[in-house]
Amino acid sequence: MNVVVTPAMLGQVVISGILSGALYAMVALGLALIFGVMRIINVAHGPLLMLGAYATYFLSTALGINPYLTVPVSMAMLFVVGVLLERTLVFRVVDAPELSSLLLTFGVSIALVNLAQLLFTSDLRSVEYLTGAWVVGPFALSKSRVVAFVFAGALTGLAFLFLGRTKLGKAIRATSQSREVAMVCGIDVQRIHLVTFGLAAALAAAGGALIAVIVAIQPEMGQIWTFKSFLVIVLGGAGNYPGALLGGILLGLIEQVASLFLTTQLSEVVAYVLLVAILLVRPTGLLGGRQT
Amino acid sequence: MTTKALAALITAIGVLAGGLPAAAQGPIRIGASLSLTGTYAKLGNYQNEGYKLCAKQANEHGGLLGRKIEFVVYDDQSAPSTAVRLYEKLITEDKVDAVIGPYSSPVTEASANVTEKYKKVMVTPLAATTSIFKRPPDKKRYYLFMVISPAEAYLEGLVDMAAKRGLKTIAIVNEDTLFAKAAGDGAAELANKRGMQVVFREGYPKGNQDFSAILTKIRAANPEVLAASTYFDDAIAITRQMKELNVNPKMYGITVGGDLPEFYDLLKQNAEYITGATQWETTLPYPGNREFSDAYKKEFGREPVYHSAAGYAGCVIYLEAVKRAGTLDSDKVRDVLLKLEMKTAFGDFKVDQDGFQTAHKMVTTQWQDGKKVIVWPDELANGKLRFPTPPWNQR
Repeated sequence: MNVVVTPAMLGQVVISGILSGALYAMVALGLALIFGVMRIINVAHGPLLMLGAYATYFLSTALGINPYLTVPVSMAMLFVVGVLLERTLVFRVVDAPELSSLLLTFGVSIALVNLAQLLFTSDLRSVEYLTGAWVVGPFALSKSRVVAFVFAGALTGLAFLFLGRTKLGKAIRATSQSREVAMVCGIDVQRIHLVTFGLAAALAAAGGALIAVIVAIQPEMGQIWTFKSFLVIVLGGAGNYPGALLGGILLGLIEQVASLFLTTQLSEVVAYVLLVAILLVRPTGLLGGRQT
Repeated sequence: MTTKALAALITAIGVLAGGLPAAAQGPIRIGASLSLTGTYAKLGNYQNEGYKLCAKQANEHGGLLGRKIEFVVYDDQSAPSTAVRLYEKLITEDKVDAVIGPYSSPVTEASANVTEKYKKVMVTPLAATTSIFKRPPDKKRYYLFMVISPAEAYLEGLVDMAAKRGLKTIAIVNEDTLFAKAAGDGAAELANKRGMQVVFREGYPKGNQDFSAILTKIRAANPEVLAASTYFDDAIAITRQMKELNVNPKMYGITVGGDLPEFYDLLKQNAEYITGATQWETTLPYPGNREFSDAYKKEFGREPVYHSAAGYAGCVIYLEAVKRAGTLDSDKVRDVLLKLEMKTAFGDFKVDQDGFQTAHKMVTTQWQDGKKVIVWPDELANGKLRFPTPPWNQR
């Protein structure tokens, strides 16, 4: 009863996989940054993404701004939210055992979701801006996903440029390598933590803003992105920034190809079995652990 | 003056005043457990309002068997186990004269064991799961009666309209949960019966938002009809991604969600041509439907939904059966209900020997220029199906 897979179909899902993979990579880069620099697994990463999505929704529907122009605004807003969160709560658990930071960010995550339910209600909302597809030969390229891919690629590129070329970026990487040595070299580690958390929240917000144009949004949309980002950084190597790129694209491809050959239900199983397998066989991730 | 004499005097006055002997007997008490709080609260309250309106109207028209009707309603907090306890209490402690159904299939499934044990007839207006009624002979339920159409009927309209237009191939997807799967199974069976070929069938997990791979397979299978047994979020996601992947069957229908105004609000013109299924609409030309809607709005200050109408109808049907039987005796009321054919504001009622609903019709709606038009069945339709569906960029 089910269909035979043709090369054209495989091509189509590979395209879909790469398009969503770029988004995964960008969002996961935020999680990887926080983990690398602060040794914290930020469970609230997904809910921050959700806030970014709502920022874009309200800016584009209430003020009539082109949703793609709201991406930087959304990022700036969430940068501030990230900085505030770090300054009020997260800094307290940086040196605490990892369980404390997990619990704290888990609490923040629940609070953000419930706050969103109160403020925005649980109704689905959508930004109907760029729907439909460009048809190229046997392939359909979703317009909103292609634009999201371009944005994600550009923003990830910028983030890497920032980390590799600027003084602040280098300081972040230095802190990630060794906090003590960075401190000895005169880097203000507190400030680095602040910037890192803000930057990570901004990357999540960019993801949320782009996703808002692709799917309908609601307050609980974020959690799944925490899991996906976690999967991505385990695949690529926790704390390894280029690894997040590879992990993102890989996760996108695995999900799509597994759904094609098996079923959508089994594709989730495949992704998480892979997670367990990698943790067992190569716990440092495909590209190895912390390196910058 | 003794109490006895006083009672006699009051009775005498009552008789002289043309009052009914009923007054002395007290009201008929009908017990129900409803989900007034908890997960199903929103819908359980609609059902409760349906019951209330039915009782109020019946009392205005002289009550039942010459007695007033009174509902004894408890809150089961949407928990089947609580409902079981409450029906036990209603029957054994409160000694109600009759019972009527709770909200939802799971709660009915649990409560029916109690009402069967005490041989109480229970019309259960909001249980749509076939397996509650269709059971092996040694576990048969004798006193339970269904009012709404079963899950399997949700896609009947889509399949029927497609078959009538000579379409031959259908793809079916469903969320992999009890109700949605049953609706998908129903569609597959109906399609086979009508000589259509099911070219693709797949379930997806609850909460799934990415349908690219499923839709890629559907595009390759190239069906003339796509039937999606959905709730709401998934219906939105599937529709948007169909456009993204340029999946364009001649007909595309969904189950739950497609009839909600929010569906059009979110999808705008992309919702055009899509069909949805529902148990009931305010606009349907059933006897007393308009009067019901008007009275309901006046009484509760909000529009009725199908849960209100089904609750109302379930109560009306039970009262009619008691009236015809002339007694509250369970076995006699059961005999009447098994033979009863009735039209209410909610539509037709007739059950088979298992108490399973066979007459009530689902209706299929289609979005046309932003309006929800009933397109199936023909005798209830207020518009014609727009067919075939044009390419996405021409909607």
